[in-house]
Amino acid sequence: MSSPASEARLEPFRLRGGNFNLLVLRLLDPRVEVIVPALADQFRRAPGFLRNAPIVLGLDDLDPSAAPDFGHLIAQLRSVHIAPIGTTGGATDVRAAAQAAGLPPLRAAGAELPVAAPAAPAPVPEPVQEMPPPPSDWQPTMVVDQAVRAGQRIWAQGCDLIVRGTVNPGAEVIADGNVHIYGALKGRAIAGGAENLSARIFALNFEPELVSIAGYYAVRDGLGDAPLGRIVQVCLIGESMRFDRLG
Amino acid sequence: MAQVIVVTSGKGGVGKTTSSAAFATGLAQAGKKTVVIDFDVGLRNLDLIMGVERRVVFDIVNVISGEAKLSQALIRDKRVDTLSILPASQTRDKDALTKEGVATVIEELSKDFDYILCDSPAGIEKGALLALYFADQAIVVTNPEVSSVRDSDRILGVLQSRSKRAEEKKDPVKEHLLVTRYDPARVEKGEMLKLEDIQEILRIPLLGVVPESESVLKASNTGNPVIMDAESSAGQAYKDAVARFLGEERPMRFTDAEKKGFLSRLFGGRAA
Ligand SMILES: Nc1ncnc2c1ncn2[C@@H]1O[C@H](COP(=O)(O)OP(=O)(O)OP(=O)(O)O)[C@@H](O)[C@H]1O
Ligand SMILES: [Mg+2]
Repeated sequence: MSSPASEARLEPFRLRGGNFNLLVLRLLDPRVEVIVPALADQFRRAPGFLRNAPIVLGLDDLDPSAAPDFGHLIAQLRSVHIAPIGTTGGATDVRAAAQAAGLPPLRAAGAELPVAAPAAPAPVPEPVQEMPPPPSDWQPTMVVDQAVRAGQRIWAQGCDLIVRGTVNPGAEVIADGNVHIYGALKGRAIAGGAENLSARIFALNFEPELVSIAGYYAVRDGLGDAPLGRIVQVCLIGESMRFDRLG
Repeated sequence: MAQVIVVTSGKGGVGKTTSSAAFATGLAQAGKKTVVIDFDVGLRNLDLIMGVERRVVFDIVNVISGEAKLSQALIRDKRVDTLSILPASQTRDKDALTKEGVATVIEELSKDFDYILCDSPAGIEKGALLALYFADQAIVVTNPEVSSVRDSDRILGVLQSRSKRAEEKKDPVKEHLLVTRYDPARVEKGEMLKLEDIQEILRIPLLGVVPESESVLKASNTGNPVIMDAESSAGQAYKDAVARFLGEERPMRFTDAEKKGFLSRLFGGRAA
């Protein structure tokens, strides 16, 4: 018996990647006494805008030799209810100065990691964790927004397939990954390419002519007591196909 | 600009030509300048059903190959003066039709007509592809049987991928479902597909349901499109379908088996 509370004691935290949308405040002038009043002015015209919003300081436009006084800047920004949480871009020295004041460099999604700033004297918070980059052979899921009609054949090469309509009798959908059908499966669905034994097929209304995973297949007459007409997941257990009712 | 309408089905013998003749006549009766083209090169029979077979001199192949002018090949209907027929060739094969040739004919017809109906041959090969290629709208003719529904489904896929509108990424071809040879009594007995079953697969708007009717055969044998037979259920169903096509609202008829009347039930006789 383990209650959620006792689990929580066993595992005090979890580390997870996450993607966030953040505003970037691009600094065009290194002088704190110029930046902050201009911001405050902007705020008076749009009260509530940015209030308590976490923002990232964009350093690309700053002169590499003239880093702002980041400690002072952070304090001043907080006094107008802006919470700087990190930096993006900028020259190595400018980034290092920000990091020393407690603002780590963040990596924009899809951008190269900045070259590590020189070790800072003060203990520095960890940079925000990002999702690990996808493996190089990763392919986005193929999405089909219509019914797949008789005689049509759709092949999601090297990826998953999502069909938003029905797969009609006489139609065929094929994926090297999983097949998801948000409609009725009345035709053929083939998942897992030649060897992906862990691929699955999902359908909101399971009435297939044929389903196949990694070369193992079942025709309509061989479906036995599969839950026809239901929401079903198909997977392989060893060499046999399993049909689970999901709803 | 004229609207180009293809009457198509995939499967053969489901009633494309019957429906083309009825629709063309109905549109013309409604005052629309209408021309109906027979794309079934080699197996022409639209001219028979329209009762103009003895007036055919030139055909669409002659026009495309430059042997005749379009105006020479067009046959003006004697019953409805806004209706013309462009027959197919009996002696040539389907390769005689080219995309460029058909494009020129349709372009020229567009100047003079409101509606250009294309009676497609069966199948999904060249002739059928050519008949649907220039379509703005499609009337998909389907019988209440599995193979016909399957073929209609196929032709819908073709319309969505291989028509000119699809190739040019324009608005898709507007699709209409016309169920023909519907026999409610046999549907009730489970011998034929129900209307709902057909619609569930095809999922396009229903334009009409034409019941199985002996008057259709009679009409084609006499060369009078069945829509001119106001007595017949099929004729009335086609009239309704044309009216719906032109934007009128009409309740569906002929979809339920006739209920036996009280007296006939009492005496076990047949309803009149
Ligand atoms: N509603 C109906 N009731 C009874 N018979 C019908 C009906 N509609 C069509 N038919 C008959 O079905 C047969 C085929 O009709 P039609 O020639 O119109 O089909 P088609 O689809 O044009 O055929 P094809 O594919 O050969 O061109 C004809 O004999 C016709 O009389
Ligand atoms: Mg025909």
